[in-house]
Amino acid sequence: MTQDPWSYETAVDLDRTLSERLKNFPREPDMLVYGARLLAGAILRTWLRSYHHLVIRGRERIPVGKSCVLVANHASHLDTVCLLSALPINRLHRAFPAAAKDYFFESMPRAALASIVVNALPFNRETSIRQSLALCQRLLDTPGNVLILFPEGTRSPSGELAEFKPGIGLLLAGTDIPVVPCYLRGACAALPKGKIVPRPRKIELTIGLPRSYAHLKRGKDSALEISADLRAAIETLRDSIP
Amino acid sequence: MSPSAALESPIFRIYATIAILLLAAGGAAIQILKRTSKLNLEPAWNSYRGWLIMVPLVFGVIFLGREATIVFFTLLAIFGAKEFARATGLYRDWTMMGVVYASIIACGVVSLMPDYGLYMVLPVYAISAILAVPILRNQSKGQLQILALAILVFIYIGWMFGHVAFLTNTDHPYAYLLYLLFAVELNDVAAFICGRLFGRHPLRTNISPKKTWEGSLGAVGFSLLLPWILYFSLPDFTPFERLLAGLIVGVGGQFGDLAISVVKRDVEVKDMGALLVGHGGILDRIDSLIFAGPLFFHMSRYFHGL
Repeated sequence: MTQDPWSYETAVDLDRTLSERLKNFPREPDMLVYGARLLAGAILRTWLRSYHHLVIRGRERIPVGKSCVLVANHASHLDTVCLLSALPINRLHRAFPAAAKDYFFESMPRAALASIVVNALPFNRETSIRQSLALCQRLLDTPGNVLILFPEGTRSPSGELAEFKPGIGLLLAGTDIPVVPCYLRGACAALPKGKIVPRPRKIELTIGLPRSYAHLKRGKDSALEISADLRAAIETLRDSIP
Repeated sequence: MSPSAALESPIFRIYATIAILLLAAGGAAIQILKRTSKLNLEPAWNSYRGWLIMVPLVFGVIFLGREATIVFFTLLAIFGAKEFARATGLYRDWTMMGVVYASIIACGVVSLMPDYGLYMVLPVYAISAILAVPILRNQSKGQLQILALAILVFIYIGWMFGHVAFLTNTDHPYAYLLYLLFAVELNDVAAFICGRLFGRHPLRTNISPKKTWEGSLGAVGFSLLLPWILYFSLPDFTPFERLLAGLIVGVGGQFGDLAISVVKRDVEVKDMGALLVGHGGILDRIDSLIFAGPLFFHMSRYFHGL
């Protein structure tokens, strides 16, 4: 038969194993993964609302139609799912919580959960912070993406707000990307570091007004200034809750 | 089919015993060769480790019963279809893939009911739904390729492979299903071993250059003998039906292998996926079963009913 052959656009990651594909970033959109994520999202939202009586204040402050960064205090694995619950469910595939590569992307079950359920971005907090920040930067270039960052860098065992790492400042200085400070209360009591089974404690998520740091020049000083400013903003949110 | 029925079924117990013996013999053979010869046994060992996962999995599912088996084979069909779609680029069309997945799930549901007549006419509904997709979204450019690929993936990997799950609804589910699985996989192994030992003349140069006539004919010969070796499994088969069963597995199994190889060669990929080291993707493992399964099903149904 002499006909023009069809051209096939084979998936680029066809020859990768499932675990390699899950750990890879950015991920190829996958219908079954999207379906599983939506299902998990709906279940988690119901769970948070009924078991933890999750209250979300200021949901409307999250910018729509353009990229933004959500920053919050970090004391529990529940933090990420609470923040994701503040977004409309169809925006779930565009939300990328930065997750520690050394913790979430080494073992297979965790990598599967991190990539399928929360769509996590593998953040290398030990060796190549610059590279990870560049990855974040590229995400934010696409309008509508939401990057979720915990500038403390790890979960705080006591629930107290720890010092912020300057990486967030390096990412935001001199850009008009809106950054939304958020404060989570109760997540630490519900599921502290080291525990597996969540306790039925109330969780409150307060979302602050978005701000941006276009007026600052890129550099170490402004990075420190931005992390301090965001930390102060989250402390203000904490103290403003009745 | 149920856990207690499986334990009471002599056929299930015999096959489970054979499986354990074959796995033990295979592992021992590889270990002995490793110590006595200079052959590179890394691929064989990888493949063997894959079998150590797959054999208990399949036996476990069949042990659990009819529903678990149908769900398992439907999942294999769905993920097989996904591999096919990823290799051919069809996976980018989410609407079409949604229709294909839904149709494959429909095959599983009809198997669960079970309704033989409805199962046989399912392609009518599925192809109608597939053809409706470009019409509903008012598109024509490049749609023929998408339609052709979607129909092929549903008919071949969804519906035809789904016959294997439908075997659980026959009067002799353990006998037919386990015979088919054993015969097809042993046929693959026989083709591989005969090819390695006696292979000289290439079988299909443009499709699968490593396969040889010697390997292929050796496997057909082995498969023709197998219905007599596993006599207990098909006691009411006449000699003619045993001959047919042997040919279906021996010839059909290799055609199934080559059919998937044609796709792989045309889209220029080596394996359809990378699920198990040493086995490639799901389709690389079940390729022979997709072809031989429905033929065996209809042959046994024609002579012995459901």
